[in-house]
Order: sequence, then structure tokens, then C-alpha cells
Amino acid sequence: MMKLKRYMAAAVAMLASAYVWAQADNAGAASKEKWYKFEYEVNAGTNIGGASPLPLPAEIRHISSFSPNLNLQIGATVTKWIDVRKKWGVALGLRFETKGMDTKARVKNYGMEIWQDGEMLSGRWTGMVKTRYSTQQLVVPVTGVWRANRRLKVNFGPYLAFAFKNNFDGHVFDGYLRVEDPTGDKVEFNGDSRASYDFADELRAFQWGLQGGVSWSAYKHLVVNANLAWGCNNIFESSFKTISFNMYPIYLNFGFGYVF
Amino acid sequence: MKYIKPAAVLAVAFLAASCIKDEPLNTECDILAAELPGVELVASPVVENTSVTFTVRYDQLETTMAPRFVITPGATIAPPSGTKRDFSVPQEYIITSEDGEWSKAYTVAVRWQPAPPEEESVEYSYNFENARIATAFGGRMYDVFYETNAAGGEDWAWASANSAYALTLQAKLPNEFPTYQAEGGIDGKYVVLVTKPTGSFGATVGKPMAAGNLYMGTFDITNALGKPLEATRFGMLFGQIPISFSGFYKYKAGETYCRPDSEGKLEPVPGKRDMFNCYAVFYESTPEMEWLDGANVLSEDNPNIISTALIPDRHETDDWTEFSVPFVYREGKSVDPVKLKDGRYRLAVVMSSSQDGDYFCGAIGSTLAVDELSIVCKRNQDEE
Repeated sequence: MMKLKRYMAAAVAMLASAYVWAQADNAGAASKEKWYKFEYEVNAGTNIGGASPLPLPAEIRHISSFSPNLNLQIGATVTKWIDVRKKWGVALGLRFETKGMDTKARVKNYGMEIWQDGEMLSGRWTGMVKTRYSTQQLVVPVTGVWRANRRLKVNFGPYLAFAFKNNFDGHVFDGYLRVEDPTGDKVEFNGDSRASYDFADELRAFQWGLQGGVSWSAYKHLVVNANLAWGCNNIFESSFKTISFNMYPIYLNFGFGYVF
Repeated sequence: MKYIKPAAVLAVAFLAASCIKDEPLNTECDILAAELPGVELVASPVVENTSVTFTVRYDQLETTMAPRFVITPGATIAPPSGTKRDFSVPQEYIITSEDGEWSKAYTVAVRWQPAPPEEESVEYSYNFENARIATAFGGRMYDVFYETNAAGGEDWAWASANSAYALTLQAKLPNEFPTYQAEGGIDGKYVVLVTKPTGSFGATVGKPMAAGNLYMGTFDITNALGKPLEATRFGMLFGQIPISFSGFYKYKAGETYCRPDSEGKLEPVPGKRDMFNCYAVFYESTPEMEWLDGANVLSEDNPNIISTALIPDRHETDDWTEFSVPFVYREGKSVDPVKLKDGRYRLAVVMSSSQDGDYFCGAIGSTLAVDELSIVCKRNQDEE
């Protein structure tokens, strides 16, 4: 919790400095017109999506359940309009968000490794895999903005994310392991027997990706936002080999914003 | 907003579902089932990961047989199922997976039920002088005890859970496994059984310890984690009537008796001391209960058990301690000479360093040493 407070403080400080930067710019120019070239928005929303291998490897045979969980986000965006008609602009944002998912999938011949104390048990798993993923991140998007009409804005650009709390765990159940390779001993897991795993420590702290979306002015101050954030890094460190494919976070965000 | 979330979930699910690729070809190359058409078997075929064993009557004279196999869908077998071959020696079959990438050699053997004895009385001794090394993944090596035939070759092997212990990554050398051979017994070598921790993998599957065990029968590693009581299949064909069970043991219980808690970790049980077990059970094999397992091997109400030999005063001792106990018949039970001749009875000698080890309860470090076991038998019940 202490850690969270520290990050929140950092977020507030960054926002404040962005504001001060904007103010300083205004003060220096002392021009009302220039002040209007900035637009401030605070927003809140929810993330729906998951971390997924792309494309799905052939080992994944069926996704039997998927829950994106309730992932909240709060943030603020400063948009600087470049032209007088406010057609084009650049937006800098800062948001605190959670992303996560719960999935249950049936796999066939899925390579897995269990490490303990430097020793490894490897094999091929056929059966069910339950995964829980959640992450809390500070995200800084830098996007280009284009105003299509009076009500609609479109944005697109990269984002940087720093995860300060990560969780990735789950268990395998209802299936069998072939020890080492498909010719090895067959060990069944059924009923209550399961093998759990926890790869939280292997998740990457810094990620980047691309985001794009639309913002629709419902009322004078109220906007409705929809954005797709597509991660370009594997969520795991590159040194992590247990999961043989890369997984990318792909989230749709829906929310509201208040424009000052 | 009310509809957006379900819609998005649907969209994501659809995206994911629409990307499911075509099912890859099978990589497995297993014999799933086996039969020996036209030949009377006295036990079900035993199909393991690289071997198949048929047991035929002692009076089966023809050694050319044509076993048939059910294999992994799409896989191929060479020579083909149904090929006539001479099984006076074991024969090899190669199974190749559907994707062609994997193959496995199976040794298919036919065992002959021992012929009825000619002597009135016979004594079988088990001295644990013979052990071979079995290799598990990662070069792990453990002992497999076996008994020899008249020619000095391996006749049959004792079963243990060593192969499953390899999965815990806690052992690499034979004497790091729960069951191993040691020097300096009553006469020559002996068997040591130790209750061992199973590490973090053991805990994740709710089995934080493994008792050392050794028994007549087979160990089914497929069920070792999911249905551990069923993994230990006790008993082998026995064509005589056992009357007494004797041998020597040493025992030292581990410090703290534990049981698995809800997370699969060891939880001490105050005031409880571990105890070993070493017993013999003579039973009738029926189609409903072909062998005994951990759930019923000593059950009072097991209708198949004919007689048992239990050591009543088991205790901790640093010196070799001799025991000799009779087989006591269960109420109303007797041996049918015809069934005896037909190979319907089986004997299981079972040893464990923790008597509750099949429920993963016991004390880490409990150590049982056993040597010079003996079963005295007679040919007919009438002579009693």
C-alpha cells in the first residue's frame, strides 16, 4: 500500500508539472488565444481485454471461459492544439490503471517446465489450464489528435507503461503430463489434483504499445472515450522460457472524461 | 454503457475463438490396450509406458502367438498388430506417432504362470541382493529390486513409487530416493525405505511427503498424483498356500509426525509417532477386484482377502529384529485347490517406512530397513 501511495504521489506530481508547464507557457505568451490551445481532461474508465498470444498457438484447443474482470482506470490528459482551428493536436496523458483477466483453456501437447531450486521438470501438458493475470500500471500515452468534427476526436500514438504490481498465476488440472516429451511417462491429474504455478516475478515491469481511439463530446464538458491499447512487448521478460509463446496485452478501454 | 461491456467481451471472445487453429496431429505413440486372441490369460495384460506383459497358463505349450494392440489414434505399429511371433523370448514393437516425429519401442513379454509345486512344502526367501538401476528423466537413477529365476536372470521385479519420486526433482542418485539398496544387512545387502519430503512440486499437488515403499505388484505412475491409492497395485500370482511370514527389520521413526494441510504443506500432528508397516496378504483375484490397492489392501470387509500375516508388536529398534508371523485366515475363508491351480490367488508382501504413507501422513526421516524375508508355503490346505 505504501508503494501504491508513492506511485500516486508521483502521478500527481507529474500531472502538476504538466499543468505548470502549460501555465508557464501561457504566462510567457500572456496570450489568451494560446491558453485556449490547451485542453485539459480528467477521465475514468474500465479496461476489457486480455493478454493473449498472437496468433493463438495450435496447442490451445478451446477457450472454455474468459473473464476480463473489472479493471478500473483514472487519468488525465493535456492536449495541445497545433492549429488555430483546433483540428490537429498532440496529447500527453497519465493514467493509473489495472488490467487483468481470468481464463480457462483446454490445451493439447502444451510445452511446460516446472522449476525448483535450479532443477527442472519439463513435459507436455494436455488438459485444462487456468490463468489469472492482473497488473497495476502507470501509463503515459503520447498521441496525435485529429478533430473530425465538433463532437468527435480521433487519437493515435504510442504509450509507455510501468507496472508496479504484477500477478500471474494459475494451475493446470483435469489432464495429463507426458514427462519430458510425448513418449515419456504419462501422469494424470484428475479430481482434486492440480499443479499450481506463479510467474508474477517473471512479468516485465516496463512495456510499450500503441493506442488509438475516439472521444465523443456528449455535452459541453462531458466526453465519452473508447480506446484500444495494444501492447508491443511480451508481458514476460525475454529470459522467461516456460511459456513458449509471447503474450501481448490487448485492452479496450471505455470511459468518461470531464473537459475543463 | 450497460451493453458495451458484454459486447466487448463477446468481441474479444469471438476474436480468440476465431483464431483457434486446426488441431495438430497426435504426437503420442502409446499402446493403449493389448490382447492375446486364442490364448487363455491368467491375469489382465499389464500395459506400461514401454512394456506389455501377458501372463498365460503354465500348461500353455504353443509359444508362437499373435497379440493385438490398440494404439494412439493415427499412430502406426511395426510389426503390425496380429503378427505371429515366437514369444519364448520377449519381442519388440515400434510405435510411431501420427505426426511421424516421435516413436517408442515396447518390449512385449509373455510370462508363464509357475507350475504347481511338486513338493509338499516350499520356502521362498527374498534377500534384496539384486537391484538394477532404472534411469528416469534428467539422468536420475534409482534402484529396482528383482528376484532371479533358476538361470540367474531377472524373474520378476518388486514395485516401488521411486519412479514418481523422480518427478519431485528431489533425488538424483539411488540412495536419495525413498527406496534403495544398502550394504551390510544380515547377510549381504538389504533394502532401506525412507520417508522423504517432496519439495515444492509435491506441495503443489498436495503430497508433501513420500514414504519409502516396496511391494509385490505393479506401480501405476499414471495414477500416482491423481489417484495415489489406486497407483499401488498389490499382489502377484501365487500358486501355493502361504502359512508363515518372517524376516528382520530395523526402524527409526522421524522426529515429527505430519499430515498435509489444505495447501498441501506439512502440518505437524502433536503427540503422534510414526510407525512402519510390513505385512503379507493372500487374496483371491476376481474380475471385480483383480488386484488390491492402497484403499482396500487391509480392509476388514474386503471379501477377496483369504489370509493376512501382520506383525503385531512393531517397534523402533536400532538392532536387526526378527519376526515370524503366521498367515491368519479371515473368517469363513479357505483356499479352493482348483482356483489355486488356475492361478486365481495372489500374494502381496508390502513394506512402507510410514504406515499412513499412502495418505501422505508420516514423519520425514522415518527409516525402515528390511532383510531376509521368507514365506513358507504348503501345497494343499488339507495338510493343515
